[in-house]
Amino acid sequence: MKLLIVDDSSVVRRAIERDLESGEITEVDQAATGEDALRLYAAKLHDVVTLDITMPGMDGLTCLDKIIEINPEARVLIISALRDKATAIDAIKRGASGFLCKPINPPELKEAFKLLIED
Amino acid sequence: MNDGDIQVFITCVQRYFESIKRDVVVVIEPPFIKDEEKPFLEYTGIIGISGKTRGAVCFTANGVMLESILSFLNEAPINRNVICDLVGEIANTLSGNAREEFGKDFLISVPIVSTGKNVRFQFPSDSRNYVIPIIWQGEKAYLLVCLT
Repeated sequence: MKLLIVDDSSVVRRAIERDLESGEITEVDQAATGEDALRLYAAKLHDVVTLDITMPGMDGLTCLDKIIEINPEARVLIISALRDKATAIDAIKRGASGFLCKPINPPELKEAFKLLIED
Repeated sequence: MNDGDIQVFITCVQRYFESIKRDVVVVIEPPFIKDEEKPFLEYTGIIGISGKTRGAVCFTANGVMLESILSFLNEAPINRNVICDLVGEIANTLSGNAREEFGKDFLISVPIVSTGKNVRFQFPSDSRNYVIPIIWQGEKAYLLVCLT
């Protein structure tokens, strides 16, 4: 299983990678911007993408739209500090499979990931 | 921005520090208003705020506290770049979480990170500047909420 972690914070990217380490994941890519994420996703069509929203350049919701354009079945878990319901609903309407708020709670993240790959 | 709104940020601080390690207590001292010199420490993450209100939210801390947080997160190696990344991410998380109360029109920028006490940022002249003192693991940090 291929995982793509998109967040402008390297600390967050590594924390997500550590939290999700399991035998199921065979390959992990990381991107610090929406633009890099799209390049990686188009080349590898990762099984799961974790995606931040507030990033320099292309924001996460625009990146989400473009990932869904590439693959309408993409499994994208938004992980964002933006804790308002309107943003979460907007992300789900645009095709996200789930929405988690920062600060990251590792058991919650693992559970969300499990649900995503079982789907 | 009024005195009641500051509770939103206190809740965000509490939640953030509890997420690092639940059994390590975070002490949040009574907030105060400081319109003159702001109490910046070694590292500061600044989030510009626009939309219905404008100004900035800043998290400022010394390296010792930030290194402790990184250790709890199992981050290694710890260096200046990682510390700067973390202080920006904390500011981002605390500001973004405040949208739970202030809604999606509370627009937040990506973090700007500054080191040293001489922080270059154009704070609005008409903002009310609240300081929330935070004590964690014996180290002090501040959340500055400077909003119109």
